Amino acid sequence: MSSKDAIAPMEATMEDSPEGISRRGFIKGSACVLTGMAALKASEAFGAEKPWFIIMERASGMIVGDPSLCVACQRCELACTEFNDGKADPGLTRIKIGRNLQYGPAGALGTEKLGLWGNSLVVQDTCRQCPHPVPCSTACPHNAIIAQPGSGTRVVDAERCVGCRTCQMACPWGMMTFNEDKGKADKCFLCNGKPKCVTACPSGALRYVPWSDRTKTSPPRGAFLLQVPESKAAACASCHVAAPGGPRNPLQNPVPNPLFTPAK
Amino acid sequence: MANQYGGWAGKVLRVNLSTRKITLEDTVERYLDVLGGTGIGYKVLWEEVPAHVQPFDAENKLIFGVGPLAGTGVPCNGRTAVTTIFPTVSPMPLVGSGHMGGQFAARMKYAGFDAIIVEGKSDKPVWLHVHDGIAEIKDASHLWGQGIVRTESTISQEIGQESAVASIGQAGENQVPMAVVITGRSHSAGGIGGIMGSKMLKAIAVQGKMPVRIAADKQKWENLINLHRSLLGANNQHVVPSFPHPKSEYFNPGSRWVGAPGKRWGAATPAVTLTDDIYSLNRISFRTNNAAYFLGDETWKYTVRGNGCHSCPIRCHTVIKDPGIAAKYGIQELAQNTCVGLIYGRSFFPSLAKDRGTPGREASFVGMHLADDLGIWCNYGQLQRDFVRLHKEGIFKQKLGAEEYASIPWKKCDDGDPTFLFDILPRIANKQGEFGEVLGLGTGPMLKRWNLDEEKWGADKDTAYWKMGHPKHHANEDDGQCGVVINTQYNRDAQCHSHCNFVRSGLPIHEQKKLAEKNWGSADAVDAVGEYTPTNIYKMRRAKWAIIRKELHDSLSICNWMGPWIASPLKERGYAGDDTLESQLFSLATGHTLSRDELDKVGERIFTLHRALTIRGMNQVNMRKEHDQSPEWIFKDAKDKPAFSKGTIRMDKADIEKSLDLFYEVMGWDKTTGAPTAQAYKQLGLGYVADELAKGGLLPK
Ligand code: SF4
Ligand code: SF4
Ligand code: SF4
Ligand code: SF4
Repeated sequence: MSSKDAIAPMEATMEDSPEGISRRGFIKGSACVLTGMAALKASEAFGAEKPWFIIMERASGMIVGDPSLCVACQRCELACTEFNDGKADPGLTRIKIGRNLQYGPAGALGTEKLGLWGNSLVVQDTCRQCPHPVPCSTACPHNAIIAQPGSGTRVVDAERCVGCRTCQMACPWGMMTFNEDKGKADKCFLCNGKPKCVTACPSGALRYVPWSDRTKTSPPRGAFLLQVPESKAAACASCHVAAPGGPRNPLQNPVPNPLFTPAK
Repeated sequence: MANQYGGWAGKVLRVNLSTRKITLEDTVERYLDVLGGTGIGYKVLWEEVPAHVQPFDAENKLIFGVGPLAGTGVPCNGRTAVTTIFPTVSPMPLVGSGHMGGQFAARMKYAGFDAIIVEGKSDKPVWLHVHDGIAEIKDASHLWGQGIVRTESTISQEIGQESAVASIGQAGENQVPMAVVITGRSHSAGGIGGIMGSKMLKAIAVQGKMPVRIAADKQKWENLINLHRSLLGANNQHVVPSFPHPKSEYFNPGSRWVGAPGKRWGAATPAVTLTDDIYSLNRISFRTNNAAYFLGDETWKYTVRGNGCHSCPIRCHTVIKDPGIAAKYGIQELAQNTCVGLIYGRSFFPSLAKDRGTPGREASFVGMHLADDLGIWCNYGQLQRDFVRLHKEGIFKQKLGAEEYASIPWKKCDDGDPTFLFDILPRIANKQGEFGEVLGLGTGPMLKRWNLDEEKWGADKDTAYWKMGHPKHHANEDDGQCGVVINTQYNRDAQCHSHCNFVRSGLPIHEQKKLAEKNWGSADAVDAVGEYTPTNIYKMRRAKWAIIRKELHDSLSICNWMGPWIASPLKERGYAGDDTLESQLFSLATGHTLSRDELDKVGERIFTLHRALTIRGMNQVNMRKEHDQSPEWIFKDAKDKPAFSKGTIRMDKADIEKSLDLFYEVMGWDKTTGAPTAQAYKQLGLGYVADELAKGGLLPK
């Protein structure tokens, strides 16, 4: 995961040719954006600053947890950081159980008490591999959170990440993590298609499944701050314009998901 | 220095509650030779706590210790050892340790520490907040007088749920010797509560996000962890299921692997039906349901899920939910515990002691609710066995004043009415009256105070008393002479499971014998239960191995209720586990490569330090005569079957003496006294120990 080539950038600057973007399989579900943008010269549309597309290819897979099966062992967390990073690192783990053990996601002050002091259910917090507008990726001023080629998994490109932690504030579910040793953000990259947490779970409480949109149905975890850096605001504005019938919705009629391959 | 190794957090925290001084030590610099856990505990006691110190003195210390594997992904590493001058040992207080599971061990590492040494005595109630490499002593006046549930949850609310809190209840506050410290609601360490109370330390909370580094290449580590996972059975390393199954060659009704296909976690939301793939590594947690095992099959209906320690896939604590019982007795709907903790309540009632139906479950729910909040220890069930016998033999009636005797609702006890526990358990926690005071003392001081004959107490198999105030713990009923010798070696109940995790694995004896031959040089190292043969050197090699591994586990942080892994569920391996697992895990985690035999030497050093502490504490070198004793009941049989005949666990006196001869021989100890020789100490790098003992005339001649 370290080489830049391994994670080809799935976004492109406006200066890239439309063909080039298409070849990388970027635009699939959002041809209207491409058409709309291509009609303008980048420099005319957004001035001198290098603008970015912010619509990413959909992710193909994700991890789902079943709270009624979870036995709170945290072996998933340990597999995540020991097998990927060579250390047991409760701050870095990209699946999060430990923070829900005693009261659940709503915490001690929430109204619904789960976990040890509530109904004993343990919620596994997993990355939703969000659809547009991917909050962590959108917020990153350095475009360091990108869709992995072939899978669309939202991953951090460590070479671009400057460690500003803006993404951590943006994720509504607190799923961005940080590798303090490296000074870089990190997040669930689905172990490149072979999720180690799923393999490690002794209770069958985690599954690696084709992506579906879980972002609309789960409440955020605490406060978050979705930021749109200036460099990207213009790209937002290209779709989200006042128009008869409302803004165009590039994500209507999403295409089926040919990329998902279950882990062995 | 510390950072050259993986595994260890690298620092030991020392908190003096008298001076409020907090200092740090380098783990590796000071404690590499004893690894962690009980190793650190024994070393600190040896160097810093003189023999005359009493448990509740300010000079006594509490050492909460874990090892290099705690907090990692090694399966079953969740136990914290708490070592101290133990309060329930008779005739004099001696070294001992209590052990608690849960999240505490891992969180202590993530807080930056391998051990926390608590010294001195506070003059007002405090709790200790250990986090991110620092510690703060905080006011606990709002918690003093509260139960454990409230204490733990109040602190968790304050500091956040990514923490672990170990606290004491009223029993601990009142310096009841039979008091526990509890973390995670049900994980308790016996005997420690009163000592915390004497220091006015209500709780310790640990919290942090400091990583534990694995020294080895991560692929190698992943491979080893996956090998380890494949060798796991159910709780206590029972490697065959308790039910017949097409995929299993063997089954054994005594096995704790009870998760048969079709069984249900009936109180889960929604209920979970266990599947047919019983050997899947993604179903390990379905194998064990200790609530069903101990409280009866009906308990499946009330099972919510398994629970247990950080990193452990076994889940020996079961979460059970029964709103009916909750409403009837005004207690919480959810309860969780394991093993004797589950049957704590029902064991007070002669009519319910073995009841696996609703009445027994009700009493058990009430028992857990009270005991784990007041923080009363059961001394591995001895509290209840003593109670039942004192009641049955009319001793309470004799010894309590008429008024006090009349104030206890005995009829409820005889009727099996669980509300009896609401009356008697608070008496113990509050040291109320002679009754409360005496039951809280532990068996040894209780016998002394009431002038009861210890030998007589140990003559009766049902009382299961062993010696020095404590019961048997996997002795001849599980493992013949090997179990007996192990039970002679400790100052409290032996708490050793290395031996029974193998002999009680559920494998038939011919498979066990094959494994025994491989590991200890002869198939004669093991007998079938109740088909015992006279002692031999192989059995005693196995006893030595068992004790050393126990100490190693308590110092590395591996659960001795699961390891070592001599047997496995894998037919393709001839049911063999891997006896080098500990050394492989240790070497890869720390980067300090030790072979199995080298690491076992360290375990032997740690155990020998325990022996030296005992000799110094007793001021007595003749361990054979004054310490390594067995109770009379093991030499008797109800039907008077002779020892070594089929169907009896009866032992033979001369044969046990010979076992001790052989055991002392394999330990390299003096045969007459059973004390380590100067040479034995020196070989283990304990020359300084031998020197000090020599000054007191405590080396064998
Ligand atoms: S880290 Fe958060 S915002 Fe980013 S994809 Fe995952 S869930 Fe969505
Ligand atoms: S820390 Fe997050 S927001 Fe900042 S550069 Fe890295 S990925 Fe982008
Ligand atoms: S899929 Fe991989 S990266 Fe994501 S949480 Fe699981 S182990 Fe961690
Ligand atoms: S490994 Fe499975 S059972 Fe254990 S905490 Fe993670 S999701 Fe829960």
